[in-house]
Parts: sequence; C-alpha cells; structure tokens
Amino acid sequence: MHTKPLAFLTRSPLAGVFLALAVIFTLSALISPYFLTPYNLSVIARGLAFVGLITIAQSMLMVLGELDLSLGVIGGLCGVISGILMVRLGLEPYTSMLLAILLGACLGLLNGFLVTVLRLHSLVLTIGTAGIFGGANLVLTRGVAITGIPKDVQYLGRGDVIGLPVPFLIMLVALAIATFVMLKTPFGRYMYAIGNNQAGARMLGIKVDRVRLLVFVVAGAIAALAGVLMVARLGTAQPSIGDTWVLAPIAAAVIGGVATTGGIGSPIGAIFGAGIIAIIENIIVLFGVSPYWQGIVSGVIVVLAISFDAISRRYIRRDA
Amino acid sequence: MKRFATLLACAAAFALPVAAVAEDAQGTVKKDSYRFLVVPKVVHPWFDKVNDGAQAAAAAIKAQTGSNVEVIYSAPQSADVVQQNQIIDSALATRPDGLALDLLDPSGNRASLEEAQNQKIPLVIFDSIPPEGMAIPYIGSDFCEQAKIAARRLVEVLGGNGEVAIMQGVPTAPNHSIRAKCHREVFAEHPGIKVVAEGIDNDSIETAQQQAAAIMQANPNLKGWVASDAAGPIGIGQAIVEAGKQGKVTLVGLDNLPEMLDMIREGVADSSSASQPELQGYWSVMLLWAQATGAKVPGYLDTGNAFLTKENVGG
Repeated sequence: MHTKPLAFLTRSPLAGVFLALAVIFTLSALISPYFLTPYNLSVIARGLAFVGLITIAQSMLMVLGELDLSLGVIGGLCGVISGILMVRLGLEPYTSMLLAILLGACLGLLNGFLVTVLRLHSLVLTIGTAGIFGGANLVLTRGVAITGIPKDVQYLGRGDVIGLPVPFLIMLVALAIATFVMLKTPFGRYMYAIGNNQAGARMLGIKVDRVRLLVFVVAGAIAALAGVLMVARLGTAQPSIGDTWVLAPIAAAVIGGVATTGGIGSPIGAIFGAGIIAIIENIIVLFGVSPYWQGIVSGVIVVLAISFDAISRRYIRRDA
Repeated sequence: MKRFATLLACAAAFALPVAAVAEDAQGTVKKDSYRFLVVPKVVHPWFDKVNDGAQAAAAAIKAQTGSNVEVIYSAPQSADVVQQNQIIDSALATRPDGLALDLLDPSGNRASLEEAQNQKIPLVIFDSIPPEGMAIPYIGSDFCEQAKIAARRLVEVLGGNGEVAIMQGVPTAPNHSIRAKCHREVFAEHPGIKVVAEGIDNDSIETAQQQAAAIMQANPNLKGWVASDAAGPIGIGQAIVEAGKQGKVTLVGLDNLPEMLDMIREGVADSSSASQPELQGYWSVMLLWAQATGAKVPGYLDTGNAFLTKENVGG
C-alpha cells in the first residue's frame, strides 16, 4: 500500500502557514539557546494574546470582505475608559471592564451601522472613526496615563495558569468560540457566503446587513477586551494602547490565509500568522538585531514565510 | 625549621581571612565577559548618542580590565510602552548581565522591571526616573533645571512680554512631563508672558513640525517656543522656516542633535539647553558593570546640562 507522506495535510488549507510557523519556530530554537526557555515562551504567548485578539476580530471581518482600521484604537479607548471608570469614578473593577467591553461593542455597532445602512466603504470609514476614537482618547486622558488600576484585576493581564499567561488563555477561548461559530454554525456559513458573493447571499435569503452588523459589534467587543486586558497587564491605562494594533493583525490574517477580498480563511490560520509575527519580533531581540535593521529583517522573514507557505501548498497539492 | 613552619602557618592563618575578605569585598567579582542591553524610548538620533557613550564605556572597561563587554542596543520602532515592554521581556529571556532603560512610562513599565528584579538582573534607568517605590539607580540631568534654563532664556530674549507655546514631547514620559511643567512654572513667574498653546509631538520631528505649523497658524501673535523633547525643537524650527517666521518667532531648543546645532548656527534657533546623552550611555554601562561585579552604586548620577549658543556650538 502506497501512503502519501503529507496526505493528512492536504485536507487542510492551514497546512502551509502551519509548516511556515513550525519552520520558524524550529530554526529559532536551534539558533538561539534562549528561545525555548519557559520564560521566553511565556513572553511570546503573552505578546501574542493581545495582537491575537485583534487578529481574530479582523479576520472575522475580512472573511466578510470588510476591513476595520479602528479596532486597535477601539481597544485603546476602551482600555482608557475602563481605567477612568475604576480609578476616577470608583466603580467595581470587573464591572468597569465589562462596561468598557460593552462600549467596544457599541463602537463596533456604530461602524457596522455606517457601513450597512449608509453603504460606506469599511476601510475608508474606519480611517475616519479611528481618528474620532483616538481623538476621544486624547481628550479624556490629555495624553497622560491613568494609574492606580486595582491589583486584583491586574491578574487578568499578568497572571499565569499552569504556566500559561491568562491573556493567552482568554485569547484561546475567543479563538475557539470564533472558530466554532464560523466553521460549525449556519451563522458562520452565512459569513463565508456574504464574503464570497454579497449579492448572491442576498438572493439566497441571508439577512446580509444583519450578519455584517453583528460581526462589527463582536469585533468591537473583542478589540475592547484586548484593550482592558492590556490595562490589566500594564497596571495603568495608557493612551497609547492599540497604536501598534493596526497593521500587524491585518498582516497576520493575510499570512494566515485570510483573503482581503472575503470568503476565504479562518481565525485559526490568522492566529498562526500572528504567531509567526510574534516569533519574529521576539527573535529580533534575542539575536540583538540593530533597530535600524529590524524592519528589513522582519520584512524578509515575513516574505520568506509567505513564500514557504505558497511553495508548500503547491507541493502538498501535487503530493495529493 | 620548626619555628619557620610555625611562622608560615601563622602567616597563612592571618592571610586566609584577609584573602576571604578581599574576595567578598564589593566590586571584586570579575567575569571574562559581560553582556549589557540598552533599551531606549524609541529609535531616535538622541539615543544613538546614548549608544555611542555606552559603546565607549564597553571599550574602556575592556581596556582597563581585559573583560569583553558586549553592549546590545535594542530600540522600539515607535514610542509605545507596550512595544517597549515586549522588547524588555524578550531581552530578559537572554539573561543579560545588566539592562539599561529609558522608561516611556514608569507605571506602565513597572511589571517588566519587577520581572527583571525577580530575575536579579542589574538595572539602570537613564534619562528618566524609576517607578515610585522601586530602588533602581538612575542617571540623567536635572530635567527641571534644563527646562528652566530654556524658558528663562526665552523670557529674556522676549523682554518679558509676548505669547509663547510649549511642545510637550511624550506626555507620559516623566522627563518630558517634568520639563513641560517647569517651562510653565517659569512662564507663570512673568505676567507679561502668556502660554497660548501646547503641542504633543510624541518625540517625532514630523509630528512636531505639523503641530507647530498649526499652532502658529492659530496664533499669529506667537513670539516664542520651548520644547520638552529633542525632536520637538527640530520640527518647530522647520515649521518656523516654512512659515517664513525666522527672526519673528524665537525658538529656544533642547538637547544637542546635529539638526539642533545647525539651526543655532543658521539663526533659526536662538540657543539650546542640552543634556549630554553620550555621558548618560557611558555611565549607564559603568553602573551596570559595577553592579555586576558586586559593587555598590549611587542611587542617582547627574550628568549635567550645557547651554548652547551660536558662540559656543562652533562652525
């Protein structure tokens, strides 16, 4: 009986990006003696958690054929609001965090409403709303961090459970829910149908605008969750939270096989992509790469990862 | 012979505790090599000068002691505390012999600093102050005095009258916020001086230029500028030149980047109150090395300020 060595992978569109991630992980472990230490792996996992949450949110929107450039800013604003609620207004910390996540959902609702009802292009619209939300952040904080976040909620950002950072575990839960909904429920199938062909989905009787609106709401809530977790991580509500959560999640999703045109990809692939970026950011420091070379080095690794993904997919297809 | 042996034994008995004390004395643990990490606020020419000073200290230690000293300079691409913490955390994973940091926000950096202390990695903070309650040696100039030198000079040039503006830098960075506060204190002492605007440039020359241009548009009677970071005055100077206000708006700058010195030579800026980044980098490495050898180090080291004018910046 002739068995094809990679036959088990051929069924999965994630094979290429997973192999790219595995290769980068293995090379990093071989080259740096520090890479595989439990401390370093927890550093990578903790960093991945925050960008990972935004990546999950962005990949859900990208499957619909939408892009939301305000997600990082929503995270920052909601983080600051949670800080204001619990420090300045003295609200119960967990209630403050929940209210901030609810605000994130409302900001997502605003984006979704303007996209679906006024038929505005999500990419262009969210450039504008990112400015509004970011501006509100500055007005509220005047650029100064809110300190005095209660110690007990800091566990959500700094704590560990069986050696795994709490925010990483929260990200995994969000990933599991998003994946289940997108791959195993009618709602998820509607998302892919809309992303593939919006007009066709309408003709099939799918309530297209309702689905799009709901995904924007969920994406806003997930972004806010990332923001409040980062507040718990830092122990302060920094106005700059989310500033670097704009392009990396989109790049991660694309590396992970999510098409910007919609209808293709999954949050798991996007998280693999985010994992590649997180490892690159880590090894650049472990290897002591000059800050002036970091852009080139990380860019080259990303190009190599994408190329490896494309080549391995071709190989797997031929092998099948 | 017996007497000689007894004498030798006595000498040895006397020498042993002396040797033991010498072994335990501060600053006597020597290694063949040291690896120190320098993490500034952001990729920025001012911090390149810090790195130059750090590398000079590494060379000096090598020349004097024979120990190899590697200084790794790792800077965030943007002035973002999240990104800076990620770099610090990754750097800690490499178990360095010491870590020199310029904090973007002491409270926001606290968790990473606590982790370093848990791992017993020597720390030095430069150009900033430690988080409240954390005993970490720090190096810098007197930020407030540096700002006051600049603000007093502006008041003097304006004859104690006129509208002025302040560029804040990164508002969460303690050195920047201290300077902005001290600028305001000096201006408040002079009733003829009115602060009509404050900008935030986040240590970016481009942002400083945009902010300054907009502020000068909105305040046509503006007579002078001071800044709280090194990027600020360079952006302000560009905006002054672009607006054709050279000679009408006085800029008293901050620090000694090459562009700042050029602006003083060309008359775009009146002067600059400069900290000395090379010295901050040099002494950061020296204090890390001293800690790594077991020596005690001062809690604070002042590297001083210089006042730069056309007369002393040279051609």
